[in-house]
Amino acid sequence: MSWDTVFMIMPYLTVVILLSIGLYAVLFKKNLIKIIMGIAIMQNGTNLFLVSLAYRDGYYAPIFTGAESTEMVMPTPHALTLTSIVIGLATTALLLSFTMMIKKHYNSINTEDMRRCKE
Amino acid sequence: MTLDIIIENSPTFILAIPLLFAFLTAVLGWVSEKIGEILFGIGLALTVFFVGVMSFEVLTAESWFYVFGAESPSPENITSFFRITFIADGFAVLATITISITAVAAGIYSYSFMKDESGLNKFYTLFLLTLAGVNGMVLTGDLFNLFVWFEVTSVASCALIAFKNYRGRSVEAALKYMVLSTVGGLVVLFSIGLLYGQHGVLNYALLREGIAGSFTFLDKLALGLLAVVFAMKASSVPMHMWAPDAYGEAPGSVTPFIAVTSLGSLFVLFRLFFGVFSVGLDVAILGSLLIVLGALSMIVGVSMALVQSDLKRLIAYLSVSQVGYMMTAIGVGLATLRSGEGFGDLAMQGGLFHMLNDGVYKALLFLSAVAVIHTTDIRSLNDLGGLAHKMPYTTFFFLFGALSIAGIPPTSGFSSKLLIYKSVYLYSPILAIIALVVSIITFAIVAKAFFNAFLGPDQSLMKRRISKPMLWGMGILTVVLIVFTLFPNVVVAEIVDPAVEGLIGSLEGVLP
Repeated sequence: MSWDTVFMIMPYLTVVILLSIGLYAVLFKKNLIKIIMGIAIMQNGTNLFLVSLAYRDGYYAPIFTGAESTEMVMPTPHALTLTSIVIGLATTALLLSFTMMIKKHYNSINTEDMRRCKE
Repeated sequence: MTLDIIIENSPTFILAIPLLFAFLTAVLGWVSEKIGEILFGIGLALTVFFVGVMSFEVLTAESWFYVFGAESPSPENITSFFRITFIADGFAVLATITISITAVAAGIYSYSFMKDESGLNKFYTLFLLTLAGVNGMVLTGDLFNLFVWFEVTSVASCALIAFKNYRGRSVEAALKYMVLSTVGGLVVLFSIGLLYGQHGVLNYALLREGIAGSFTFLDKLALGLLAVVFAMKASSVPMHMWAPDAYGEAPGSVTPFIAVTSLGSLFVLFRLFFGVFSVGLDVAILGSLLIVLGALSMIVGVSMALVQSDLKRLIAYLSVSQVGYMMTAIGVGLATLRSGEGFGDLAMQGGLFHMLNDGVYKALLFLSAVAVIHTTDIRSLNDLGGLAHKMPYTTFFFLFGALSIAGIPPTSGFSSKLLIYKSVYLYSPILAIIALVVSIITFAIVAKAFFNAFLGPDQSLMKRRISKPMLWGMGILTVVLIVFTLFPNVVVAEIVDPAVEGLIGSLEGVLP
């Protein structure tokens, strides 16, 4: 396998690893903070996926001033990624504030103690 | 001239106005809560006004694609098209009307129900944000925009559920829903990436072209992921676990509104299936997917409702089973799409009419149940009784909603369910039998709830009175339901038929 192929595959491999770690944390961890960390890792994995999709070898950044040819990279996925980062900040903040309130009311952040709704 | 501009831009106003007023309510609400209250009222009224304008234009004249940004290139000659489009067609009209009716009722109800809470300007802000988010979800014609509105709805509605943050259970329900929604949102984004990577477009209409050209394994993966997430948000079995918690623990006055956001996800699911994916995958397979999920939701939802004694959780499980009716009916419509079978259209009429109905009678049931809980502070059916003596109006409202959800003639719930039985029977008799049996069990459940809570000797359980705005909120819904009951044929012809047409055809013929 040549280095070029390795560099092509590398980002996608990282995406798979990040998503798996995140999903594992969300599914199997009992600690709320760890679940939220898992979600944050998944967010980063998804963002990396979008950015890697947008990469085109040998193309220019989509800035017309000073570009040597018109073969430019489509900026849409980068715009998506920026939006998704902002949304990720909002959701993480909200999840963490919920966790604070849970800690106050239940004196625990273990998901096994969160069974009061069903009573 | 001005009128034309207002009509032309009404889809933007439907989103811009609640967003603007959400901001104003939050900022000016600091000055005085009274101002926040008034601004909330104005924002809600204006949003509904623009929904009315858009609906009137679509239903009397024609549907149109609303394009943000520059005038050229126009959607008619797209080769590569990156701007955001909104689809103002019959389907979007049906969806926004359902949302608006519930939002108005829940808003009026909130005025008196939430009076004792503190920080109400934030409540109104969250309410308006949820309204903008769910309207955006059903109006948009662009995958990424869909993701943004999806997240706006998730964040705002989760914060609404946890609004009474001095109750641990509210926060618990909100946290569970939020974890699911966030992971769901990421899955949506991931599948958007998959679709974009292959077809290079985000617009529904262009994506439809791309999928018609080549439908690969990755497209199927994206379709599966999107279907799972939106079915989860629509509280379909087996992803319904969050619904009873969230509906049960949300502040009473917004419970129907949270339920309507899940209906919004169902609208999006149908739009994606019909508009985008029906050209790639065999429609029979897509339809069967919906039918299986629908039949499961009907059965599991109603059997879980059978064992509930908590009034709000009982209605929450019933609403899960109602979602099953719509999915089954629309699934039959999808499975027979383009096959020339007449009953496919009938099934879609039934399914969409049922969605409109369901939004209204579910809201009525939730609001009257909340009125009971509000006056007595009792949630368990075993401890309630004899309320009809002191709460005649609420008794009537609950009874009317209960008869509609069970599909007892002559209510409008019966009209839509009859359409579903008739058409689904022609597709597969077993489905029709399931639907009928579930209806009968639903009737037994609501009858039990009604007898337990309202009939019997007066036990003087009332601790406080119901205020006028709460009655008005329920009254509006009842009036709408009575209109549907009296003129089901008019509603089907004027609102539901354009919606069926929009669902099947609005993305066809957009491209040259």
